[in-house]
Amino acid sequence: MKGVNAVSTSLDPPRAAARPSFDEVAAEQLDAVYRYLVYLTGDRAAAEDLAAETFEKAFRMWRRFDARRGAPRTWLCRIARTVAIDWFRAEARRKRREETYARDLGESVEAAFGEGLSGPLEAALRELSPAEREVVALRVLLELDGPSAAKVLGISQTACSTRLSRALRRLEEMIGDVRE
Amino acid sequence: MSASDVISSERLDALLRGDAPRSGAEERRAALLDGLRAAQLRAPEALRARVFAPAAAPASTPRASRLRLPSRRLALVVVPVAAALAVGAALVHGLVGSGGGSPRAVPAASPVQSHSLETLPARAAAPTSGAFKAVGVPSVANPSRLQHTAASLQVRVADTDALSAATKAATRVATSLGGYAQSVVYRTPQSGGGTADLELRIPAANVRTALTRLAALGTLVSQRVSVQDLQHAFAVESAQIAQLRRSIAALEQAIRNPSLPDAQRVLLQIRLAEQKRALAQRLHARKGTVAAGTTARVSLVLSTSKHAAAAPPHRGRIGRMVRSALGFLALEATVALYVLIVLGPFLLLGALAWGLNRVRRRREERRLLAA
Repeated sequence: MKGVNAVSTSLDPPRAAARPSFDEVAAEQLDAVYRYLVYLTGDRAAAEDLAAETFEKAFRMWRRFDARRGAPRTWLCRIARTVAIDWFRAEARRKRREETYARDLGESVEAAFGEGLSGPLEAALRELSPAEREVVALRVLLELDGPSAAKVLGISQTACSTRLSRALRRLEEMIGDVRE
Repeated sequence: MSASDVISSERLDALLRGDAPRSGAEERRAALLDGLRAAQLRAPEALRARVFAPAAAPASTPRASRLRLPSRRLALVVVPVAAALAVGAALVHGLVGSGGGSPRAVPAASPVQSHSLETLPARAAAPTSGAFKAVGVPSVANPSRLQHTAASLQVRVADTDALSAATKAATRVATSLGGYAQSVVYRTPQSGGGTADLELRIPAANVRTALTRLAALGTLVSQRVSVQDLQHAFAVESAQIAQLRRSIAALEQAIRNPSLPDAQRVLLQIRLAEQKRALAQRLHARKGTVAAGTTARVSLVLSTSKHAAAAPPHRGRIGRMVRSALGFLALEATVALYVLIVLGPFLLLGALAWGLNRVRRRREERRLLAA
């Protein structure tokens, strides 16, 4: 059962001899990395900037990529996560600075997580924490397996499974509450 | 949510892989997953253009000329290279330190020129006995120059009777060649065996003969001959003496002048006395130099088989090289250990700071993403 966003590329680490070019990898993984960043940040504009930054960084580090140690998608998601965490840090600082002046500014209500998503699900996703949304993105949308997702998140596989279960359960609960 | 609604991680993985749901809870979970996957979310064209613009400009293998190795691989390269360098340096040191042949000329500090010549026992070891016969004295001495020769021999004799006879014979050798025994220490302990230490003074002209005869008193275990050039010291002392004599003659002439004021005469007389004293000292020193140059010092150790010092094991050039290389390696290890001891606390503090910073960053990450 694959969704429309599922990327058909193999997630198995390719052989070292068949090392793809950066252009090929970027073309294959751009949508996946962008989706991951949208889920992580909840902000499409920010995700676009961060995705561009991620690929710029990946381009510089491409020689260090070792296909035997992981799939390109996992490697790119790890870079994207580092870039996003820096963004979160900067955002936190910015928010602290601006708290005094823009205390009551409301957040954007546009559909951030993709067209075709039901309203209650969109709203429920917005209620999740970034940590919960990113595990959903990695496991459900990007279809990373447990070990790869845990590697991206820097946590154990068990913790990754627990986090995913909790996130999905919360989504179900929130959707159920809306329907009731 | 009831306990029956809980989906195990294995079943969740199965649902993610597309397996059919087995319960109502799993059906709801599968529907949620389908709902999440239903969203259309593609990278905008603007982003696509931004990403492929830099990638298209240079070659598809960016920065091919810049070699960047991951830290683990770097360690895999650096550690063996460092070890190879250490061993290589030790081998080079061993090769250089082993020298070409056994006798080694060791230049002494200027201005006195000296030659130290050591004959290792193994060089002339008799295949049967393990000790070596007298190899004669290398003719490093130059008869046209004033040189001090010092030699030490270790000779093994059969028993205490032979020891006594050899001691007497050694003294006779010294006197017959115009020299004398400066000291003789003869020991025969109750435990058996015995040794005799003789300090002989032999005229320099006869030292080769003396060494040959002394070596023949028994089995030569070791022999060391050193020659120190005294010509320069002798020339310096002679020049100083000549200068002092000229100075004294001039002072005496000045003092004899009747028109010299008394006060100045006294001063000149004091100076004359000083010059005479200095001349006497220089003359005495030159006499000692000449004596050292004309008389060789020979230290002879006679010992019975039981007391004979064990001859150093035979070491060829390879043996010496290995020994030298091992010594150098030990020195390198000592230096490395010292550096480690000195830097250890700093490294530990650095690692601690790195670990704490890592923990702090992870906590901060969790806090940021949990918001």
